[in-house]
Amino acid sequence: MTTTNAPLPTYQAKDYKSELKPIWCPGCGDFGVVQAIYRALAAIGRPPHEIAFVSGIGCSSRIPGYTTAYGFNSVHGRALPIAQGIKVASPELLVLVAGGDGDGFSIGGGHVAHAVRRNTDITYIVMDNQIYGLTKGQLSPTSPKGLHTVTSEYGSLEEAVNPLLYVLAYGANFVAQGTPADMAGLAEVIEAAIRFPGFSFVNVQSPCVTFGEDDQQVKNHRATMQSLAKLGHDPTDRLAAMGLAQKYGKELHTGVFYKNPDPPPTMNALIKERQQVLSEKAPPRSRIFDRFLQT
Amino acid sequence: MTDKTRSIDLANISLRDALDLAVLVEEEAKDRYEEFADQMELHHNPEAARFFRFMLAIEAKHESRLAERRRGLFGDEPRSVKREMIFDIEAPEYDEVRANMTVRQALGASLRAETKAFEFFEAAAGMVQMKDVQDIFTELREEEREHQALVRQEIARLPPEGPARDDDDEIVAL
Repeated sequence: MTTTNAPLPTYQAKDYKSELKPIWCPGCGDFGVVQAIYRALAAIGRPPHEIAFVSGIGCSSRIPGYTTAYGFNSVHGRALPIAQGIKVASPELLVLVAGGDGDGFSIGGGHVAHAVRRNTDITYIVMDNQIYGLTKGQLSPTSPKGLHTVTSEYGSLEEAVNPLLYVLAYGANFVAQGTPADMAGLAEVIEAAIRFPGFSFVNVQSPCVTFGEDDQQVKNHRATMQSLAKLGHDPTDRLAAMGLAQKYGKELHTGVFYKNPDPPPTMNALIKERQQVLSEKAPPRSRIFDRFLQT
Repeated sequence: MTDKTRSIDLANISLRDALDLAVLVEEEAKDRYEEFADQMELHHNPEAARFFRFMLAIEAKHESRLAERRRGLFGDEPRSVKREMIFDIEAPEYDEVRANMTVRQALGASLRAETKAFEFFEAAAGMVQMKDVQDIFTELREEEREHQALVRQEIARLPPEGPARDDDDEIVAL
């Protein structure tokens, strides 16, 4: 056997960019999000073949195709169960999930709570544009009350779902928000989310340039966004995080809302522990069929 | 300034790192113009695509000139400044483009990008400690000033535009 002192390969953002060219509308916020993801992955340094990227359906769910990671553009609203299955079956993989607010909080809304409580070590990035853009501008779960769309000609009567408060209330241990208006900050929170051991959630305010409201565009984000770190927010304080999260839709806070300083064991760690306990009492592999033959 | 770079100590940057930074700034701008040209072609806007390809060629020329200078001074010494450390210094912002944008609007996006780069190098020149690095940043700042003047000239040469159409933001069916 020969050994080598050659340095381990290092990865740059461009190594995670696929040859597929995005077909999003020019000016879409998702262009900045995918760039932030490339940069976060380069900072993490895992090779693309050790990453699985799962998405649902929607404009933002095209993201896995724009990376060199293993990708699964799956079923509407079902990205989280698929991603959890991948992580449990292949714990060595880094698993990312991406989708829109409709995919995550309407069609797949029921899955979010369970992904949070199972605490599988995956990172869920929601590109929240407050509209169904791919299907040409219908109300989405995060559309603000009063919004006029093709499905709410006289203005929406419904309150918006608050994704930040939703995951915090279910006990998520890492919750952050970003915007493509601050790509450096967004790359930083995505990197922190990936590094967090357990389920991590990043809400990205990624405006729809075609059907979104003017005051929700990236240009407006630049003028109004407030860094949580600069506000002196303590990200280990869940109640303070929930207080700030209530301002969703009114103020744009960026950075880490909550990061559990004492992360609980992940689903994979619990499974491994259970396997160890059970394997002590289990018959040897060579006698595994004896149990059936005895009856 | 700080939102444009990450993990770079501009005040104490060496000449080699300053040149590498300058190369990467041009590379980032070149790549962004290529993305914009691709987007415009995909959305059936050949005029804006042509302009972005023109800008791409200009940035590529600057990049190769700076890279040559770096090689002449420092050979193949490894780079410690990485592309991941810079954020849209000269590259136009992603939200600058629209599917049906005019050439005038495309030129406007470039002018704002050149202005950003000018402001970056001006601020950087004021921060650095080493004289030779300050000279480089000042030189780059002056180049950006010239580019701004060139883009302004091009804008002035364009025929006046009519009022904006209300379908300006609508995408063209693929």
